[in-house]
Amino acid sequence: MGYLVRRLEFFLVTLWAALTLNFILPRLLPGGPEVALRTRFHGRVSPGTIKSLEVALGIHTQQGQLQQYLEYLGNLLHGDLGVSLGFYPERVTQVIMVALPWTLGLVGMATVIAFVLGTLIGIFGAWRRGGLLDSVLPPVFVVISAFPYFWVGLICILLFSITLGWFPQAFGSSSEVTSELSLPYVLDVLWHSILPAFTIVLTSIGGWILTMRNNMITTLAEDYIRMARAKGLSPTRIMFQYAARNAILPNLVGFAMSLGFVISGALLVEIVFNYPGLGTFLLQAVNNEDFSLMQGLFLLITVAVLLAVVAADFLTAWLDPRTRERA
Amino acid sequence: MKRRGVVSIGLLVLVTVLAAACGSPSSSTGTPLKGGTLTIDNESGTLWNCGFNPFNGNVSFLAFGPVYEPLVYDNLLNDRKVPMLASSYKWSSDSKSLTFTIRSGVKWSDGQPFTAADVVYTFKLIKSNNALDLQSVWSVLSDVSQQGSDQVVMTFQSPAVPYFYYIANQQPIVPEHVWSKISDPVAEKNDIPVGTGPFMVKAGGCTPQNISYTRNPNYWQSGQPYLDKVNYPAFTDNDPANQYLASGQAQWGGQFIPNIDSYYVKKDKANNHYWFPPIQNVNIFLNHTVRPFDNKLVRQAIAYGVDRPKVSKIGEYGYQPPGSQTGIVIPTFNDWYDSSQAQKYSYKFDPAKAQQLLQQAGFSKGSDGIFKDASGKRLSFTIYSISGYTDWTASLQVVQDNLKQAGIEIKEQDLSHDDYFNHLFVGDFQMAYGSLSTSPGPNPYYELRNTLYSQTSAPIGQTAAGDYGRWTDAQTDKLIERFGATTDSAEQHSLMKQIEGIMLEQVPVIPVTESVAWYQYSTKGFAGWPTPSDPYAAPAPWNIPDWEQVMLRVHKT
Repeated sequence: MGYLVRRLEFFLVTLWAALTLNFILPRLLPGGPEVALRTRFHGRVSPGTIKSLEVALGIHTQQGQLQQYLEYLGNLLHGDLGVSLGFYPERVTQVIMVALPWTLGLVGMATVIAFVLGTLIGIFGAWRRGGLLDSVLPPVFVVISAFPYFWVGLICILLFSITLGWFPQAFGSSSEVTSELSLPYVLDVLWHSILPAFTIVLTSIGGWILTMRNNMITTLAEDYIRMARAKGLSPTRIMFQYAARNAILPNLVGFAMSLGFVISGALLVEIVFNYPGLGTFLLQAVNNEDFSLMQGLFLLITVAVLLAVVAADFLTAWLDPRTRERA
Repeated sequence: MKRRGVVSIGLLVLVTVLAAACGSPSSSTGTPLKGGTLTIDNESGTLWNCGFNPFNGNVSFLAFGPVYEPLVYDNLLNDRKVPMLASSYKWSSDSKSLTFTIRSGVKWSDGQPFTAADVVYTFKLIKSNNALDLQSVWSVLSDVSQQGSDQVVMTFQSPAVPYFYYIANQQPIVPEHVWSKISDPVAEKNDIPVGTGPFMVKAGGCTPQNISYTRNPNYWQSGQPYLDKVNYPAFTDNDPANQYLASGQAQWGGQFIPNIDSYYVKKDKANNHYWFPPIQNVNIFLNHTVRPFDNKLVRQAIAYGVDRPKVSKIGEYGYQPPGSQTGIVIPTFNDWYDSSQAQKYSYKFDPAKAQQLLQQAGFSKGSDGIFKDASGKRLSFTIYSISGYTDWTASLQVVQDNLKQAGIEIKEQDLSHDDYFNHLFVGDFQMAYGSLSTSPGPNPYYELRNTLYSQTSAPIGQTAAGDYGRWTDAQTDKLIERFGATTDSAEQHSLMKQIEGIMLEQVPVIPVTESVAWYQYSTKGFAGWPTPSDPYAAPAPWNIPDWEQVMLRVHKT
């Protein structure tokens, strides 16, 4: 119990620090919302117009920094992230809600698939160490995981969509299908997600295979495995119930954390495939100097990662009593 | 590089011409066929938020033209005017009042009739909500009122003939019966716009990834538009957009494509075409408050010290042509170009002449080949550019090499887009490479006014709308003011020649290349495109409202 409380305290302090950094960082960028606004309108519009727009956008350039900071914290408590400069009059929360399902769907599913596949390959590879599976897959995927996402994505587009024409080369769905939730729409979205998801799985699976395989090998050398064999238990039972169950611990923690990073989207994959997810919006916010959207997205990413870290801590504590004892 | 087009030109506006107005499209295939879906390919850098408020600077480029129309379309490339919502217009003899006759028989897309009252309402609306006055028309207007049943009279504070372009061509007209019920027009999203234009956006017609513009069956130009639908997918990056275009999934592009001949044209030689009409200068801006740029001989030396054709070829793949020291964008505005004056000065790359001018100005050549003034201060300057504009960096490397031969050292420093313009606006720079942040217009006056007119400038430290270099010259100001006060084309041409004379003799800025409207089009299944022989509109999908003219005339074959 004391362990959990300490982890929660740590979480709150880190969260506060992250929120504060999130407030400061955009203000350190050259320019600023009012400069961005001025250049956006080519310096042509009158000062009166600029002032009216500033009021509409909620940019209070006359306010002191401390006052802005307090207001920012207060608004956060109410879940108010302000108005997006680039998507005016839309609110930042509305913009994020549009992109969130796409990223959760694509990157989330791809992460789960990569984890499950990678872990299974790791288990089987270690079980038959030196076998065909073990000598081919882990090295191949480890090499591929060293390739940059976007490069693999571009190769996939060139091969599977431009040359072979099997899959669409961009977008999350085709323009001819309405966005109502219907079977054709769902199929269309799935069809569009295959190539980007394949790219993510291909480049991230190597890490899961490697850690799982190594943990398995260590575990298989334990005395209790030899004991289980001596008892004449079935190999499948030993592989999953005795070895994998213990070896998967570090991988599960890594998985919980990688789910936190899902929110930040596979930025480059989304850009290469012109996918309407959070990564695309983040790039756009930075390009457009859309400060409120930038802050909103960074906040979301930070909180997601922090929550994932805490979840991973709890998971470890629950699965591995040694952690609790040490604490 | 493409981003430059979008940022600096994309939000501008323009116009086109005509035959469309009388409903007789020029087509070699006879009567245009109806139907078909056209797809636009333009990296706008943003996903759509599905708002179509034409007064919102973020989205007006999606609403103004095919949905909300201007009073008169004024072709950015040649100043030819096509009556749209106004069937005619007339200036008073003192050029201080402008009367539009409003077209009858036009209906809003919800079936209500369009009237002169809607026009008056629109102008009053942007006056009372000045956040909507994106063209600053109320900086020159004093009143807008209805006269009789179908006329609208605009009165000006002083003669402002060139403002016709902003008032008639750049101002979308909205329906009073809809907008008068909107409590906050600034924060209005306008997801189902009601306009007079040839296309509509219906409920469900827009997603963050695509806008479907569907034909307005009750459009006032009978028989038009020919297309059933125009799709506008959202691209946030150049590469996917270029691939989409090259693979034939889109037919109308506004993209910068490196090696366009092999990447795009070669994919379908019979049908894939491009045309890049120049529309604005890319200059070396000099800060006239910084020594020795207050010396005419130094400015002339720099003008002789730049190899424009080489910059165009190496820095811009030859897609952007070399600029002219007259300030006239050629060949687009050939009509205004005074070749005899230009020949007299002959600003070709001539380092010997540049060195001679520097000596004449009292500078002496140092041992490192760079000139120095009497106190020993070297002619070494920092030139600002925009980070990410790789073509400008390549161009500046050529310029740097050229000027070194002329005895002047320049060092490039890249700033972010907004930071760069902020430095220019407040006059905090020595030299800068780039274009005005304001849009060009249908003749050279618009760009030259914003480049040279001291009334658009401001003291160092304050925000200037134009004339970033703080060029202050009574003669220049007088010529620009006289140009703005006359509707007589012959007089305008004669005044422009004198402005060109100042550009050549005084060299207030140094045009190096000319930025272009990126435009690709496929004739596979579609015809009616703007071409060099039929330049009925500035052709890029981001030329606003010109793109309406293209959407009116393109048809399937």
